[in-house]
Amino acid sequence: MKLEEVHEKSKRYDWGFDYAKPDPKFPTRYIIPPKGKDPFRSMMRDYAKMESEKDNRVYGALDANVRYHNANMAEPRWMEAMKFAVPCFTDAEYQAVTGAGFLIASVKNQEMRQGFAGQMLDEIRHTQLELALRKYYAKNYHDPAGFDIGQRAIGNHPIGTLARASFQSFNTGDPVEVSMCLNVVLETAYTNPLVVALPQVATVNGDHALATTFLSIQSDESRHMANGYMMLMSVAQEPDNIPFLQESLERHFWHQHMSMDTLVGVVSEYYAVNRPWVYRDVWEEWVVDDFVGSYMSKMDRFGLKPPERLGEVARFVDDMHHSAALALAVIWPLNFWRIDPMVEADFEWFENAYPGWTERYGGLWDRYRELSDPSSGRLLMQDLPALPPFCQVCHCPCVMPRIDAPETRIFDHEGTRYAVCSEGCDWIFHLNPKIYTGCSNWWARFDRWDLADVILELGYVRPDGKTLIGQPHLNAERMWTIDDIRKIGYEIVDPLRV
Amino acid sequence: MPSKLTVDPFGAALEIESDESILQAVLRQGRFVKYGCKHGGCGTCRAELISGECRLSDQTSFSLSDADRSAGIVLMCSTYVDAGDVVVDVGATMDLTEEEFSAGQLIVESDAVVSAIEHLTHDIRVLHLDLPAGTPMHFAPGQYAELQVPGTATAWRSYSMSSLPADANRLEFIIKIIQGGQFSSPMEKFEVGSVVRVRGPFGQFGIRLSHRPIIMVAGGSGMAPIRSMLRHMVASGNKRPVTFFFGARTERDLYLTSWLNGLQDEHEWFRYVPALSDVELGESEWAGHRGLVTDVLDGVLEMPLRNYEAYLCGPPQMIDAAIATLIRRGCRDTHIYFDRFVPSG
Repeated sequence: MKLEEVHEKSKRYDWGFDYAKPDPKFPTRYIIPPKGKDPFRSMMRDYAKMESEKDNRVYGALDANVRYHNANMAEPRWMEAMKFAVPCFTDAEYQAVTGAGFLIASVKNQEMRQGFAGQMLDEIRHTQLELALRKYYAKNYHDPAGFDIGQRAIGNHPIGTLARASFQSFNTGDPVEVSMCLNVVLETAYTNPLVVALPQVATVNGDHALATTFLSIQSDESRHMANGYMMLMSVAQEPDNIPFLQESLERHFWHQHMSMDTLVGVVSEYYAVNRPWVYRDVWEEWVVDDFVGSYMSKMDRFGLKPPERLGEVARFVDDMHHSAALALAVIWPLNFWRIDPMVEADFEWFENAYPGWTERYGGLWDRYRELSDPSSGRLLMQDLPALPPFCQVCHCPCVMPRIDAPETRIFDHEGTRYAVCSEGCDWIFHLNPKIYTGCSNWWARFDRWDLADVILELGYVRPDGKTLIGQPHLNAERMWTIDDIRKIGYEIVDPLRV
Repeated sequence: MPSKLTVDPFGAALEIESDESILQAVLRQGRFVKYGCKHGGCGTCRAELISGECRLSDQTSFSLSDADRSAGIVLMCSTYVDAGDVVVDVGATMDLTEEEFSAGQLIVESDAVVSAIEHLTHDIRVLHLDLPAGTPMHFAPGQYAELQVPGTATAWRSYSMSSLPADANRLEFIIKIIQGGQFSSPMEKFEVGSVVRVRGPFGQFGIRLSHRPIIMVAGGSGMAPIRSMLRHMVASGNKRPVTFFFGARTERDLYLTSWLNGLQDEHEWFRYVPALSDVELGESEWAGHRGLVTDVLDGVLEMPLRNYEAYLCGPPQMIDAAIATLIRRGCRDTHIYFDRFVPSG
């Protein structure tokens, strides 16, 4: 019997929902037709074999990387980014595992369930691959501090909150909107910059392990994109669903842009010595030309329009990752990785790629570099009139899009003060405040603490108990210690308290 | 010399050049197949290679298993023709209907009736055609149709629609009279009620969905697709800024000026900039821009053009000059779209 015939026959075996009803965690407001386009023409056993073959290749490649000491050949500036970036992406993979499981439980449509089952297997594989990559880094890079505490560190750091806030929508909420966020926005628009373009940066900065891992991950994304397309094409046939879909697209497109454009933009441009492309150009190609221009154009006939804030997103993409990179540099003592200062060659590249960069951002990088040696006895944080709050929705620092001209909004809701970074996040917050009011502002936890005590509380010190993991340079001989910080006597002030 | 590329199960006969992938060839010729990363990583564009000598780039190491390769599965984004003709089949490898493959474009052919001919200038006409009820031509603004040369069965000339796509039974064309032109000369004798065989729509020239501000440049009858695009943008509530540069020799070559000025007055997003190339100072009261339209564009747009899109339509020399100017001014070459109007005689 041909595989297609087996596949069609196997679909006749299904649950009888008269005695076992799906019990999804969240209900849906959409009308989901009983039949959809089949995204996944494969039997699970064949699929698992194929995925297993891919896994073996990655582990084999990681082994080869160990043998030729690749971790220590890569640019240290790049390797430091892996300390925070890969744990953030692992959070995305794990949230997607539970998301795919949630979607299986949420739809009666058997073809859709098959597609999500394949995705769940994939996301487990991706989680494990990234954990293996992180272990490889921790064991083989000459400065393992930060790699070794990655999971705990992410739990404590604002960048971990940013990741969780973004990727939580992969498994929380209306199942159709979960699919919109995960499959349509993240996996169709944003995985290309992440797992296709970012490996190029890794490779030209000497890190072949990330490239191998992420390209293996990317090879599964076609099925996930197909899941999203299938879901969208099914529900878009019902005109009553369109306004909900449009609102969902607007919400998730803005939020995923805030997290992904920040993360990928920062890592690819500020943690690289060699830069094969300009992030803005990558964004234009993948997010605008492909996702909006090609994919979204097929939805036009149902009345689903491209995101209204696309122009605003474009405006933010020019500046936001520059501002975010600087914000991370400002709070360097609170990081679990080191940040190499930008130097003349970097300035020249940035000015060519983003005219006006030097005027907007150069001065702060100069200052960061000036203060980077412990003998300076001063932190860039002390130069600021106040610390920026974190956005209650996306958890980016409120320095967006430009650190010299942020579009922060501060308001009170039910007796508590909140900040959001932008009109887009403001709109998202007010769509359903309950989603966003459960998490306290990061600075509030440490309000009035000495910075040294905060660092110790976070656990971001090296095994000697006094040298900070975070450093404002890559010089192993001149590292800051907790005593250097305590001498300064910097007190954290929650910007929303004052 | 391009090779022949057949895409089954649709039986679509396309061409493929030696330096383009199967995916590029398919998209270039206005068809659609599912694709993702375009470089062999994601596996979306799988197809079965039925026949043909092809090479697969080595970027597919993760996305195509050994079993796939043995079964003749290729990734269209990473497959290039080495020699001869190629047949690929996407029937079993992707869920794609014929309508999706044709990108929703169905070619129709019918006898249309002339409903009006307008004389806009000494050599520019607007030809209005009514299609028979029940045979509308659904097109996207920017596309063209072929009009059969009167008195022949096999000679056709291509003209871009300048009408609004929503009026699918009423087509409008802006046509330049060429001396001895095989279609434009006999067209001078058309009357209301004359019959013209028409088929279409064709072409990929059209506004892309995006946020980018738009530059349009046209000369001669190149305004035809631009007019269709602008009409569609007005009807759909466009907000993207558009600056339209129209180049002509003298004032008598300008047309649809009131309509364009009216658009500019009514819509904040639209700016019309006519430029005359053959008018010397002192020769006329023309107070507008003088010079080649591409030089005027260079002077009028002061900002870097990196995040702009450009749509160019008209004589090849104008298009080439405009492309060179736009790229020099920072516009990405992937965001410059053009339709060269070459007289066929």
